[in-house]
Amino acid sequence: MLDLVWLIPALPLAGFLLILLFGRILGEPRAGILATAMAASAFVVTVGVYLDLLSRTAEERHHVVTLFSWLPVGTLHVDMALLADPLSITMALFVTGIGSLIHLYSIGYMHGDPKFSKFFLYLNLFVFSMLMLVLGENLLVTFLGWEGVGACSYFLISFWHTRDSAATAGKKAFVTNRVGDWGMMVAMFLAFSAVGTLSYEGINAAADGGKIAAVTATGIAMMLFVGACGKSAQLPLYIWLPDAMEGPTPVSALIHAATMVTSGVFLLTRMAPVLHASYPWAGDVIATVGALTALFAATVAVAQTDIKKVLAYSTVSQLGFMFLAIGSGAYVAAIFHMVTHAFFKALLFLGSGSVIHGMHHEQDMRKMGALRKLMPVTGFTFIIGWLAIAGIPPFAGFWSKDEVLLYAFANNRLLWLIGVITALLTAYYMTRQVIMVFFGEARWNDHAEENGAHGDHTPHESPWTMVTPLVVLAGLSIVGGAMQLPFSKSTKFLEHWLEPVVHHSEVSIADTWAYSNKWLLLVVAILIAVSGVVAAIAVYSKGKFKIIEPQILADAWRYDSAVSAIVGGPGRAAFGGVAAFDAKIVDGAVNGIGTEVRAASGLLRKVQSGLVRSYAFVIGLGAVALLAWFLLRGIL
Amino acid sequence: MVFAATLDGPSIPWVELIPILSLLAGTCFLLLVGSLIPTWPRRGYAWVTGISTTVALVANAVKWNNLYYNKGETFFADVIAIDRFSVLASITICLAVIFGALMMSAYLVRMNADGPELYALLLTSAIGALVMVAANELIVLFLGLEILSLSLYLLAASNRDREESQESGLKYFILGGFSSAFFLYGVALIFGSTGSTKISGIGEVLSENISIANTDAMLLVGIGMLLVGLGFKVSAAPFHVWTPDVYEGAPTPVTAFMASAGKVAAFAALIRILAVGLEQRVDDWRPVVWALAILTVFTGSILAVVQTNVKRMLAYSSISHAGFILVGLEAAGHVGSDGVATSMNYLAIYTVLVMGSFAIVLALSGNTDGETNLSDFKGLAKRRPALALAFTVLLFAQAGVPLTAGFVSKFAVIKSSVEANSYVLAIAAMVAAVIGAYLYLRIAVSMWLEEPASESEISVDPAVVIVIVVSVAATLIVGFFPELLLQATRLARFAPL
Amino acid sequence: MHASFPILTALILLPILGAVLITIVSNKYLELVKVIAMVFSVGVGGMSIWLLASFKSADSGFQYVSQHDWVTSWGISWHLGVDGVSLFLVVLTGILFPLVILGVDPHHDHKRYLAWLLLLEAGVMGSFLSLDLFLFFIFFEIVLVPMYFLIGGWGYDKRVYAATKFFLYTMLGSAFMLVGIIATAVLARRDIGYLTFDLVTIAEQASFATNTGRWLFVSFAIAFAVKVPIFPLHTWLPDAHTQAPTGGSVILAGVLLKMGTYGFLRFGLYLFPAAAVWAKPVLLTLAVIGIIYGAIAATMQTDLKRLVAYSSVAHLGFIVLGIFAITSQSLTGSVMQMVNHGISTGALFLLVGMIYERRHTREIAELRGIQSVAPIFSAAFMIVMLSSIGVPGLNGFVGEFLILIGSFQSARWWTIVAATGVILAALYLLWAYQRVFHGEPDEANSTFAEMTLREGALIMVFIGLIGFTGVYPKPMLERIEPSVDKLVEHVVSHSDYKAPTTPKIIAEPHGEKVGE
Repeated sequence: MLDLVWLIPALPLAGFLLILLFGRILGEPRAGILATAMAASAFVVTVGVYLDLLSRTAEERHHVVTLFSWLPVGTLHVDMALLADPLSITMALFVTGIGSLIHLYSIGYMHGDPKFSKFFLYLNLFVFSMLMLVLGENLLVTFLGWEGVGACSYFLISFWHTRDSAATAGKKAFVTNRVGDWGMMVAMFLAFSAVGTLSYEGINAAADGGKIAAVTATGIAMMLFVGACGKSAQLPLYIWLPDAMEGPTPVSALIHAATMVTSGVFLLTRMAPVLHASYPWAGDVIATVGALTALFAATVAVAQTDIKKVLAYSTVSQLGFMFLAIGSGAYVAAIFHMVTHAFFKALLFLGSGSVIHGMHHEQDMRKMGALRKLMPVTGFTFIIGWLAIAGIPPFAGFWSKDEVLLYAFANNRLLWLIGVITALLTAYYMTRQVIMVFFGEARWNDHAEENGAHGDHTPHESPWTMVTPLVVLAGLSIVGGAMQLPFSKSTKFLEHWLEPVVHHSEVSIADTWAYSNKWLLLVVAILIAVSGVVAAIAVYSKGKFKIIEPQILADAWRYDSAVSAIVGGPGRAAFGGVAAFDAKIVDGAVNGIGTEVRAASGLLRKVQSGLVRSYAFVIGLGAVALLAWFLLRGIL
Repeated sequence: MVFAATLDGPSIPWVELIPILSLLAGTCFLLLVGSLIPTWPRRGYAWVTGISTTVALVANAVKWNNLYYNKGETFFADVIAIDRFSVLASITICLAVIFGALMMSAYLVRMNADGPELYALLLTSAIGALVMVAANELIVLFLGLEILSLSLYLLAASNRDREESQESGLKYFILGGFSSAFFLYGVALIFGSTGSTKISGIGEVLSENISIANTDAMLLVGIGMLLVGLGFKVSAAPFHVWTPDVYEGAPTPVTAFMASAGKVAAFAALIRILAVGLEQRVDDWRPVVWALAILTVFTGSILAVVQTNVKRMLAYSSISHAGFILVGLEAAGHVGSDGVATSMNYLAIYTVLVMGSFAIVLALSGNTDGETNLSDFKGLAKRRPALALAFTVLLFAQAGVPLTAGFVSKFAVIKSSVEANSYVLAIAAMVAAVIGAYLYLRIAVSMWLEEPASESEISVDPAVVIVIVVSVAATLIVGFFPELLLQATRLARFAPL
Repeated sequence: MHASFPILTALILLPILGAVLITIVSNKYLELVKVIAMVFSVGVGGMSIWLLASFKSADSGFQYVSQHDWVTSWGISWHLGVDGVSLFLVVLTGILFPLVILGVDPHHDHKRYLAWLLLLEAGVMGSFLSLDLFLFFIFFEIVLVPMYFLIGGWGYDKRVYAATKFFLYTMLGSAFMLVGIIATAVLARRDIGYLTFDLVTIAEQASFATNTGRWLFVSFAIAFAVKVPIFPLHTWLPDAHTQAPTGGSVILAGVLLKMGTYGFLRFGLYLFPAAAVWAKPVLLTLAVIGIIYGAIAATMQTDLKRLVAYSSVAHLGFIVLGIFAITSQSLTGSVMQMVNHGISTGALFLLVGMIYERRHTREIAELRGIQSVAPIFSAAFMIVMLSSIGVPGLNGFVGEFLILIGSFQSARWWTIVAATGVILAALYLLWAYQRVFHGEPDEANSTFAEMTLREGALIMVFIGLIGFTGVYPKPMLERIEPSVDKLVEHVVSHSDYKAPTTPKIIAEPHGEKVGE
């Protein structure tokens, strides 16, 4: 079964090619069904591979399938090869799983869109790229997927390209990601010059074997982290993600919440040994950036009014948690939180999409409210997602977040504190959202006419294709925590599962204060979550306190606008300066020579007056000069 | 020399004089019979000229063949040197005369002013040229120079209907006299310091006693004077000033002849004097030639940039060509250099190029012989594509584009220069060549990329067609198979002292 | 190892023959002219592909060598040969010309246009195949003439200015090279014993004094730097590209610029290894400047074609970087990139040409929302653009990545800066794409015609190459590498340059132990 691992990416690729060729003939909904089928069958294969791996001992859970030799030049040998091991298959599982759910959802969501089949074309291509990313046996195959998902995200964000905002957002995402890609490329160069290979196996083995100098390892790790910051929207490169919400909501759910944005976390986990081999401060940098991003984004989410923007910033914040975990050496916790987050964040996004769909593409939460009656399933599932992300036991989010905070505490209590505050804010702004959308009085009637006059404006529940995924994801968000329960060694399934991948790098906190008092921390976490929820209810539902949503938060601390101002202002001016320099100075010099020659010619021409006397004069001068020379030679 | 035969002087091997004699015969025939019989068959004069020149050519060719195994010798008490060098130059000149006669016939037929005089002058000037290239004696050389020049003055002024023609003749005459004076005085000084007017003799004297006490300055000034005089003839800057006006004003066939035969003769003389007579004084004249070369290539190419008259443009291009030949001559000033050969090579190829180019100018210059402005060449490709193509080949050849004879000639000269380690000169010449290329591009642009100004039918005289076809063919053949020419020119040697 | 049939000679002479035939045929039989051009160009293309097929990939030396005396008194011979470095440039030339001849319509004077094009092909082929300095120079120089007339005769409004600039600028460069070539041969005579312009003989037998070698290298480098072009000698390129007809631009970007980079490989590294190593830092720096500078300048262009032209400056910068980093990967990458840039940028110029055909403008500001009216056209443009940006899986990435990872071994900091070029590439191309293809089409663009079958077929060839090379470059790499490695060894053995060695780590399946 393991040898069939190549099928996992091959199926969506086949779907992509089929739609590419016959997309127009297939049309709606057949193209969607085909794409969904492909994703789903990829999921089935993945499950098969997973079971096969499961049936082996921990040491044998590692299988490489080499398709062909890609870049063999001198000492550089890069194969187009796939690696099936616990980490990659875990990723593949939820990529294909959630992927197929979102495919299904999109059939309903994209109903009636003129570019229906093209949407699924991109979607399949994305799934393929994402699978290459996670299944890659070496950094370059991963990079292939890495860039592939970037391109697909560009296509999908600017899917409605007639909207300038969408086009711009797509471009912004691609370019910002490229900054990260630069980091990843440099990391590859460093790895190759240090180890002579790009395969994870080789690099990690060298790192574990202490063959990589700490300084080199740190360089690689930091450069990888730069790449991760780009893809996983960490400070200072997060700016593209909120704008990415211009894309259709399923895209936001799949790419910008569940899968692509987590690839940074995946990459660092994959290269954990290198991170382990680098200077300690490398980890601190990652953890700090993660924590700060988490806090920053959470504060911003508090003041957003666009239903998707709230979720977008929340995603950034949650990704921050994952990097906090990575930086603290808690790779299992990071993956754990990544998976649960994938469940509930996908759920929330799809839910919001369902709301938007039901509200006839209204995204402003101030024009919503009391929707739970009109959209019962959506409302119910959304509330589950809310509880999960807010960290209310026993929902999935609670367990993973707690795990992260536990390790953070063991590692650095200040960062833990930041994490806790973030958790509080998370609970707060999510509650705020739920209240604004599903509770309180209906505000959408007042704005009905503004929405332009198309038919009936009462929101409606979405079709089954959209609702089913919600239900499934809701289920997962409830039980997702079960894969890693802190009660005893035996309940920590994920830890055992990932053990072969991270066993060298995972920190052990067994004998720390934090570990011995983890129940205390657990209680603290619960209290925090609850207090956040209560506070939000007090403010938005009971109206006990006046709403505090300072503009500065709504503007995301004006960071994004500042960046745009610099790029659009001085940056653009500088570029213009270079272009002008090229035209005026560089080319000017060239043409200048031409004009100089011309001028000289015109000058000399004056001698050519046509007057014999002046000719005789010139000849005479020449003669004098000549004779002077010879005379001097003769006398001296 | 006809009279010289009656006196008892040195023995006269007439056979060596066949070329000169046949040209002389042609001249006399034209003048005598021409005045006796007023009306000749069409192009009759041209035929006579052509035949007599062909005889001279054949005689030279035979001589060349005989000289293959010996370097040649000197006659008439060593005043005439028949060696590979002079024979090669003579062949080139004879070709120029034939081309010139062809163009002349076309020109005169169109002006319907056909008559013997110009052909006669053509032949006499050719005689002068032949004497110059073979002269091993400065006085004889001067005779040749004057024969050549006087005929050219008259030829230049021959078009009575064009003021420019008269003017050019006069200018050429005045300035030519000026320069001849320099030359003659130079001869006197050299004779004063070396006691010999024989070029080879001077060489011997100088090699025997390296420095002639207190007459050294005199000798050197004499050399300077010679250089001025010949520098004028080869139109090396700054003695080139007459060239544009004269070339533009003179009837096109005459210009062509002046630019080719005249230059060959003058350069041959210059080279012989410097390389044979003043071999010992290389260190004195080489720097001067170096300076003249650089000055000339740049003056020619830079001044051409702003010209609007094609004849004038070609005048300037001929100046920069002279500069390139000087580059070869400078190289010849180094030990073991083949500069002489490559210079002669350049002259031979240049003769063909310049003839062909002026032939095309002639074809377009209309009945007044004055329509030679750049604007008259507009859209030639649309009116007469073949003509435009031919001109383009010749122009690019002059620019030194590969696979043309022009490239071969430049390459050879630069090679000699580099072998002589005068890199600066080589690079300067090449850069100047690039500047010069602009001129040829401008002509190409107006021919190919601009719309015709007039749609008037261009009729090309068959005689001109011959010149064009031959020169273009030669340009390409030599361009593709340089060996053909190089085998010959690299044999150019002087008669043993 | 003489090939029974002198295929390389044929590759050069066939186009010339075709051009001659075309010139002979009267204007009246225009169709016949087109047929001749097609037959000859396709024939040459076929032969080049046959050459590729029968090329011995393991052999690092020159293959199909044919040598005949030409100008014996100067030791010049008609010496042709092909190796891994030149092979794919020859094939690219062979493929590109028929595509241009078949795919691009000059609109007027077809006869002359086609004749010039065939002559151009001969010249380009010649310069890639010559193994004699003199012969190389002849082809290198002769190429100017047809290109000059192509730009001047079939270009746009400022064509004469651009053509003249191109001609004189390049000629000035070669002026120095000519002197350099002669000097090389003359000086090499001391070691060899006789005068010869034969590249291999000189490179293998002659050794130049340190300074002499440097001067000679410089004289060659000037010519190549202009041709590539390397900053700051690049300004002829935007003008030439913008004013040239579509076909001309495709050829110019596709193969003509490569004559410069190829020259650096063949007549820089191979002929003057020590001097090349000496000049390494300067050229690396200029290359990196070119990458960044070209990209920035491209970003600010308002003319689509000019933008692509500046992007070439950046791409060629990568190639030069790879050449002078002198590692197996970087050099292989450079050769790859020469071909890939030819394909991608060639295709880009074709597409821009198609836009011009439809809208009669290249101004980005006047184009808008084309993707809505011509999705297939936009998709084609997108794919080509992504390959130009260097997205993995497409050809552009392979060369770029190999160059960078190779250069990093020997020129670390230059590479790190150069790598930022990938960010800028995305910036200027995506921005241009957004302005041209995204948004609502105004009514001027709302009638933008979708790609015709002929255009589609033409572009499909390019896209096919883009995809295949990107996914499976091995066939190319294994033919290029042996010759490149030989070149690196040559440099190492003839200079104080030490090729960087990457550690060989044998990782066992569950490798704890790591062997050096």
